[in-house]
Amino acid sequence: MSLDHIVTVTVGGLTVGMIYALVALGYTMVYGVLEFINFAHGEVFTVGGYVAAFTLFALGVSDQMATGAVIGCLLLALVFSIAVPAALGLLIERVAYRPLRGRSRIMPLLSAIGVSIVLQQLIIIIFGPTPVTMPTLGINSASVSIGGARIRVLALVIIAVSLVIMAGLTYLVKATRIGKAMRATSQDMEAAEMMGIETNRTIAFTFVVGSALAGIGGLLVVMYYGSLKFDAGFLYGLKAFTAAVLGGIGNIPGAVVGALVLGLTETYGVSVDLGFLAWFVVAGLLMGLYIQFVLAPKRRLQHISEDRRTPHYERSIANVYRLAPYLAVRTLMVERTDALLSVSAKHAVRLMLGNVFLTVTAVVLFINGSARIDTRWQPVIAFAVLMVILMFRPAGILGKHIMEKV
Amino acid sequence: MGLSSVMQTLRRAAERVPHWAWAVAGFSLAAIFPLLNVAGLVMTAWLRVGVISLIFVMLSLGLNIVMGEAGLLNLGYIAFFAVGAYTTALLSSPKFELRWPFWALLALSALVAMVAGLFIGLPTLRLRGDYLAIVTLAFGEIVRLTITNLQSLTNGPNGVTGIYPPRLLSQGAIDSLQASGWPEALLKWLVIDKPIEYYYLVFVFVVITAFLISNLKNSRVGRAWNALREDELAAVSSGIAAARAKLLSVVLSAGIAGLAGSVYAYYSNVISPESFLFMQSVIVVCMVVLGGMGSIPGVILGAIVLQALPQVIRESAGAMRSEFEVYRMLIFGLLIVAMVIFRPEGLLPDKLWRQEAHETDPRELEKTRQSLFDVEEGHQDLEV
Repeated sequence: MSLDHIVTVTVGGLTVGMIYALVALGYTMVYGVLEFINFAHGEVFTVGGYVAAFTLFALGVSDQMATGAVIGCLLLALVFSIAVPAALGLLIERVAYRPLRGRSRIMPLLSAIGVSIVLQQLIIIIFGPTPVTMPTLGINSASVSIGGARIRVLALVIIAVSLVIMAGLTYLVKATRIGKAMRATSQDMEAAEMMGIETNRTIAFTFVVGSALAGIGGLLVVMYYGSLKFDAGFLYGLKAFTAAVLGGIGNIPGAVVGALVLGLTETYGVSVDLGFLAWFVVAGLLMGLYIQFVLAPKRRLQHISEDRRTPHYERSIANVYRLAPYLAVRTLMVERTDALLSVSAKHAVRLMLGNVFLTVTAVVLFINGSARIDTRWQPVIAFAVLMVILMFRPAGILGKHIMEKV
Repeated sequence: MGLSSVMQTLRRAAERVPHWAWAVAGFSLAAIFPLLNVAGLVMTAWLRVGVISLIFVMLSLGLNIVMGEAGLLNLGYIAFFAVGAYTTALLSSPKFELRWPFWALLALSALVAMVAGLFIGLPTLRLRGDYLAIVTLAFGEIVRLTITNLQSLTNGPNGVTGIYPPRLLSQGAIDSLQASGWPEALLKWLVIDKPIEYYYLVFVFVVITAFLISNLKNSRVGRAWNALREDELAAVSSGIAAARAKLLSVVLSAGIAGLAGSVYAYYSNVISPESFLFMQSVIVVCMVVLGGMGSIPGVILGAIVLQALPQVIRESAGAMRSEFEVYRMLIFGLLIVAMVIFRPEGLLPDKLWRQEAHETDPRELEKTRQSLFDVEEGHQDLEV
């Protein structure tokens, strides 16, 4: 692993991560307000990319034009790739989602799937089934050297633009009137309405903002990769949703964190040796062992010491971890073996199985240390992350545990 | 007299016909259909459409268990179909020089799909409905991508070709029957290789599936599913083992999909990952929604309409075929949105879903709902 390779891979991962973040923000904002997965969001993203590329073609932008004119054209493309998706988001919300508010959860999701199919087919009908391509510009291929690695300028631009947009979004949500209305609506729609907030307008605004962000994402993708296919939105949408769930859905900083983690995972997964990846698994294993042998028994001991039936002289049992590690382990092994059972024997077995699984994975990875995962498996990585997260920690990295409303 | 009053009169007339009469009429229509081909009234192409439609009827009946009865959205349903199809294809094709017996493979395909269902269901059923939908979607994509990427096993995008036609009895048994003087015309039917034979084979499966499901619907398990769908918290409080009931629905529906996949592999002779796209899952979901979630006749109708009608239109479209393919999906999308907004209970709705959608009399609805939770005594008042 040379340093320049690591730098290249990291920047690549951050770049796709930022793009996922822009799309994931739309998912997470809508989920935060309506508790509903806007399945058509990925298609809105595609529309943004198509509109941007189409605008640039219509303007006939090329390197022969003056720099100012090129920048002007790009800005115009940006405006269009914000305006069209935003209008689309507004329309979708009004036509397909608003009539379904208050129905069972499955209905809006179905409607969203329908909308996403309609949008995809409309893209094919309007722009044709061939992928839309970006006019070749100097900025597309320009690169700089960082730490011996050649980095595309565009990657840095994408990271910078995304950071600026996210800062703007944070300001919008935290410090403006409409942001306050959004937060209130997401907390309790009925109460917000009683406080005089126009929830319908707020929800529409949420859709507009989310769709605009997705549109910008589309523009950046089409510039970065040079082309975009009509069904790209499905995969990007799903990955962005994964990112949103990973970070804790409904949580705006969470979406960004999740997206970066996903982008880095995906890029590292296919571009470094398995031997290198194994160390990440080892880190996971250490965490798992920590949970099994320290955190979970601690919780059990805490429970025991607070139990009314526990005699007084045993109440200090929870303090065992204040002892030196050796003494703590000896005490646990000799006197309180039951504490190692975690909250329940079932839970302990589950933890143990998880750790065994991680160990086996690490060993397998080390044995095949010099091999690499084929790029064909890249989408599988994202889906696997999604499934594992939803199974084991549906609340996500930064999310709170979701309470079922009664 | 406006259109709506005409419709109302028609509906009243239709409601006066008893349910079993509709069932008998549908059954005999489907049973007679291939004979029309023999009589030369129907082209063989239509018969093929019929076979595929019936396979999709099976699929949507299976999905209906999860979606209509238990109220869980499964967006990766086609993955179970794929698992079943590939199990059969790999064990009965020149790929590995294997030819396992038909019945064994049928059972094995269903079993493998059920194990896949268990694998996906066990850890995910704690999740809320919409999360479950996404997990199943991811599972479906993982299965498809794995099939595409594992080229040494599945030939990747090229697919498995030359799947042997099913023999209802082993070759040895057929030979000995022949030796003992059974007529050739009868023995010919033991090797299924013509559309009409496939049609009746699938037809028998569909009838069995529909029968089993309609019985299941009124059983204890079926009522538990409905109760969970209506109000999970209340259902759990009334002593329904939520996880087990949900798992059962997922596994059962996976098994039916695996069965359908096995038959599909035999019938189509060639299978490739292209047949198991996410869109196919959506189409099956569409069939269930269009027909009416939870309603068996509705689901059958939905599957036939969505599978056969596009074929019919495509045949008549002639030169405009490729354009039609695009518009077909567009219409599907619009159809889903329109159905969900304007007629969420589907074309031939289940009693409970219809009441829920229109809520003509809240007390009626409450009564039907109550009967769900009354697991022991409610048998009589929820009829299908």
